[in-house]
Amino acid sequence: MKKIVYAISLLLLSSQAHAALNVLACEPEWAALTQELAGDKVSLYTATGALQDPHRIEARPSLIAKARRANLVVCTGAELEVAWLPVVLRESGNNRILPGGDGYFEAAHFVTMLEVPARLDRGDGDVHAQGNPHIQTDPRNFLPVATALSQRLAQLDPGNAVHYQQRLAAFNQKWRAAISDWEQQAAPLKGVAVMVQHKGFPYLSNWLGLNEIVALEPKPGMEPSAAHLAQVLNALQHRPVRMVLRAAYQNSRPSEWIAERAHIAAVELPYTVGGSERAKDLYGLFDDTMARLLAGLK
Amino acid sequence: MNVLEFDILLPAFIAGLLVLATHIPFGIRVLQRGVIFADLAVAQIAGLGVVIAGLLDLTDKPLLVQLIAASSALCGAALLAWIERNAAEVKEAYIGLTFVLAASLGILLMSRDAHADEHLKDLLVGQILWVNNTQLIGTAVLSAVLLFVWRRLQNSQNHFVFYALFALAITASVQLVGIYLVFASLIVPALATYKLQQYRVAFAFGIGIAGYACGLLLSVWIDLPAGVAIVWAMALIGLLSALLKRTD
Repeated sequence: MKKIVYAISLLLLSSQAHAALNVLACEPEWAALTQELAGDKVSLYTATGALQDPHRIEARPSLIAKARRANLVVCTGAELEVAWLPVVLRESGNNRILPGGDGYFEAAHFVTMLEVPARLDRGDGDVHAQGNPHIQTDPRNFLPVATALSQRLAQLDPGNAVHYQQRLAAFNQKWRAAISDWEQQAAPLKGVAVMVQHKGFPYLSNWLGLNEIVALEPKPGMEPSAAHLAQVLNALQHRPVRMVLRAAYQNSRPSEWIAERAHIAAVELPYTVGGSERAKDLYGLFDDTMARLLAGLK
Repeated sequence: MNVLEFDILLPAFIAGLLVLATHIPFGIRVLQRGVIFADLAVAQIAGLGVVIAGLLDLTDKPLLVQLIAASSALCGAALLAWIERNAAEVKEAYIGLTFVLAASLGILLMSRDAHADEHLKDLLVGQILWVNNTQLIGTAVLSAVLLFVWRRLQNSQNHFVFYALFALAITASVQLVGIYLVFASLIVPALATYKLQQYRVAFAFGIGIAGYACGLLLSVWIDLPAGVAIVWAMALIGLLSALLKRTD
């Protein structure tokens, strides 16, 4: 009996020593960032795929089961996941990961938000009170998020604090170098007029100095009216653009329609990690984004 | 109306005319046979084919995707013909069940990955404003062939012939304008002219064409989503003409 107890406690201890933090990432970009910062110290699960609209997924039982075991939930926040995450968190019965707790991390808290509405009107479609939540299209946003996330990991897993600190330092250095590389590549994109299929790229445009003239679908998830399309074509006559941008998860038909009519390039951007073959990690995501934007100029 | 608006509306209106060309004769027959929901069932089965093609990573081969969609629709047609032959009294129940099973299977298959919502929504509301010339030409050729075969075999008693032609027409039209408009184009003109003895087809075309025209114009003038505006315009015009006929 004693032996058994000893064996079990040893097993528990040893599993504790290897114990990875269970991290539930809402979107692939935060899973990729957690991976960069924690390496093999975490066991990761991602709630949405790159080809899914993170606004709308179904709360599957498997997702709730993952939330039940999670030590940390890493999400964008700013209401991006408002349609499903609160349900998942509530159903999980896991107090560690409730909003406000140590196990709940919102990336949007740590970056400067764009498109914060002065006045809130749900009639305008998918509008977010805290600003546009698609912060992952500007690589500079990952720096403050990485610092905060690394601190949170160390707080939850103090035994590995040094490990997290080292990885953060390495990430910061490599990421800053990569950003300056991308910025150099992107020089020809500065001031280029573009249009977007839906308003999902303010951070990208802000970073690269793209000039967003008009959006094809003003209310995402709503078929536009013929009147709006006439306005769009009219705007393009006054101010021609070079390309129309869309995220990989979106239907290609609207941007192909406008590309054919206005004789511009339709550019599909991976939007997040996994959104294209090359976007295997955070570096691949922006390498591919740059390559596709530059190809759109030709 | 300025040139820009005309430029946007014309392809959509032509798409509407192409859909009506096959759907009015088929709609009249569908109403007669009492298999109104057959179009939903067939469209779902064709959609299922597209989903499976997507899962097999074939989305970059559009012709192959169409082939898979058409063959799954033909399988659906065979199923409907079988139902009509073997379970005529409860065929509506079977057709409804087929629709629900095909739709749920699509959701099950897409739950893992892929653009689930987007695809489903596109299939429902459709994308009449986004039609391009290739699609219009393809649908025009297909419609001409279907109508020709239909004329030849109109009096055939073979259930499968009817359902096969119907299935191919639906497969094309759903991708062009969406299920709501397909359903409206089939049923509204046929239903509104139900009591007419003479010139039924001509009146049905009149209602359908007026529906597309008014819906598209409303979409420009009062800034409404085009597909659903056409559905309502056609239904109201159908209702009005049925009422006028009654007061004659």
